[in-house]
Amino acid sequence: MKNAIANLFTLPKRKETAFEVQEELQFHIEMLERKYAQQGMSAARAKAAALQRFGNVERVKKQCVDISRRNSPLRRVLKILSIVIAITGLVIQTLSSDYKVARIGGMLIMIAFFGRLLLYVRGLKPWSFLPGTKRTFLTDSPDDGART
Amino acid sequence: MANERTDLMQGTLELLILNTLARESMHGYGIVQRIHEAAEDLLKVEDGSLYPALYRMEERGLIKSEWGVSENNRRAKFYKLTRTGQRKLEAERANWNRISKAVSKILQAT
Repeated sequence: MKNAIANLFTLPKRKETAFEVQEELQFHIEMLERKYAQQGMSAARAKAAALQRFGNVERVKKQCVDISRRNSPLRRVLKILSIVIAITGLVIQTLSSDYKVARIGGMLIMIAFFGRLLLYVRGLKPWSFLPGTKRTFLTDSPDDGART
Repeated sequence: MANERTDLMQGTLELLILNTLARESMHGYGIVQRIHEAAEDLLKVEDGSLYPALYRMEERGLIKSEWGVSENNRRAKFYKLTRTGQRKLEAERANWNRISKAVSKILQAT
């Protein structure tokens, strides 16, 4: 339970995600190399054959990092939060007879709408708007901190 | 043999992954190996294409991953089926059987 709460509030770091993906892909490539070496290939040929069979490592890595970050707990929480804010706004706007209160409802709907829109901008990290964080996009170098 | 290998139909990789993970949790390399073995190397599956599929399936809650130790004492990420994944597998299997039966009937009729 503690871990789940800690994970929820841990801001995902691109470098860490990229490192984990790289480690996973590296394991696969090394297993292929080992298999080819056992079949009698030289180390160089086994490596070349493994890379050929695997395909474009960098492209796969980038795809996995992007998907992994899209799936972060914080992002999921923000999505749910935007829905809750939108529903609250809608309820306030519908039920309130006071014009000023109804306007608050309208504003909440707008906040939820633009918040949600920000989440869908490809690669944008919503938490980059928190104070003290650098604003970056996922299209930044995929090799950041990755083991090669 | 190489030119007799068939490209995997779009969407079928997911079914193959679900089916492979139905028995036990596995790392990516194990999944690909199992698919190649079961298909007797007749299917053309680029190993790398497995990973984006795995990550997308995890995003959708069909599988979940956990770091563990592989058979050769290396740190590896293991994937296992969730309940949602199990239900999806049953639905996809039924769907696949319907499609293949229908296509076979059409091919036999013409």
